[in-house]
Amino acid sequence: MRSRRDLLKSAVLGGGAGVVAATALGSLGPEAAFAASGPELEPGAPDPDFAEGRIRSIKDNTLLVLGSNAVFHRIRVVDGTSLWKLGPVPFDQAKPGDGLYARGVRMPDGELAAESVWLNIVNIKGHITNIKDQTLHLDHHGKEVLCHVIAGKSVAIRSDAPPSADLSMLKVSQHVQILGAWRPDTNEVDIATVFSPH
Amino acid sequence: MHGIAASQPYVIALFLVWAGLMKLLSRRMRARAGHTALARLVGPARAVPAFRLVALAELAVAAALLLPPLLPLEAAAAAALCAGFLAYLAYSHVAAPASSCGCLGAHSRPVDLRAFARAAFLLVASLLALPADPGPPLVPLALAETAVLLALSAELDRHWLVPFRRLLVRLRRPLTAAPAGDVPLAASLHLLHRSPAYCSASAQLTTDVQDTWDEDGLRFVVYGARERTAVFAVPLAGDDPSAVRVSLVREPTQV
Repeated sequence: MRSRRDLLKSAVLGGGAGVVAATALGSLGPEAAFAASGPELEPGAPDPDFAEGRIRSIKDNTLLVLGSNAVFHRIRVVDGTSLWKLGPVPFDQAKPGDGLYARGVRMPDGELAAESVWLNIVNIKGHITNIKDQTLHLDHHGKEVLCHVIAGKSVAIRSDAPPSADLSMLKVSQHVQILGAWRPDTNEVDIATVFSPH
Repeated sequence: MHGIAASQPYVIALFLVWAGLMKLLSRRMRARAGHTALARLVGPARAVPAFRLVALAELAVAAALLLPPLLPLEAAAAAALCAGFLAYLAYSHVAAPASSCGCLGAHSRPVDLRAFARAAFLLVASLLALPADPGPPLVPLALAETAVLLALSAELDRHWLVPFRRLLVRLRRPLTAAPAGDVPLAASLHLLHRSPAYCSASAQLTTDVQDTWDEDGLRFVVYGARERTAVFAVPLAGDDPSAVRVSLVREPTQV
């Protein structure tokens, strides 16, 4: 890991630029940029390069995932896969029981070679009914969701201001949208971002 | 026991009058009638007339309770009404768990434990009112019961519970714990996303953030970009997007 980071660091500090030159990208034409997007999908048809569900088991670098529509997915995580669980995490953070969304490339054998995997990611809207210690009590369609503030990870975005680690402007009874990581099989969520309209 | 039975009719009548008047007069209540569990029970078109019927029954029982003489029959009618409320709450909890009950005014909260507790409390009060009691009503008892019933009413939360919790938050300041010294990743990504460097490379990116680390006042953020790796150097201090640098690296080990 150290040597890879050093290599990347020297690349961006040595030859890095404010913008990527066209020569580094090959053709800059829109055909090139979207060349990998594959054939157009029929509206309403399932996207073959996307999977969602909950991890049943993990075998080597393959996640066995049962989708909410009872479809089984095999998702292969490779070196280049990005995993998110309240932030970028290594592969060993994926646990059986976690929910996920994955995007990648469908292999001929039906496996999805994942480019990105988001674990337990949730996006919920509701009203703050109470604020206690480091927890927001959220009323989400009449159900209470406990949203935990995680030091160093949770940020608030107020209107269109930049993200801030200071969440003290949140008020009881205001409306918020929370992006976070669900704690499986509970009504609790760790907060990544709180969006506050005012 | 003197006075206990005599106190109950006033408490029950107060809530019945409140419930009846809200159902009859509140425009918001009429507008929301279609979203209540009663609309599920009788059909959305008949929800408003059904609410009016219930309101008339509530006002009639309340009037009977308030006007002397107090007969056991009146307390029995109140008890029957409260038992009906409980049955209706049970129905809405099962059949329309997302709907509000529409009991004492319009709000969007579904039936919860407090609604059941309030209806059960009123039922017990009606049963307590059954025995003939010549004693004068106990004012403190009636006031205490009213306070409990008001506290159980979700319709009133915004008048006392929300301000009370806001006051507690202002006094205790729960979220003002000094934030950790390091810059949250989301703040760096916000700067990154507005930078010319990210805009020039974003069409190439195929993954979310793969790796990130801090070194020498810079935060390095790594994305996959097809067969290459995109690495960005984002300054930890300052908010100038043009200071972000980018490089696309072809790594021999990458698949």
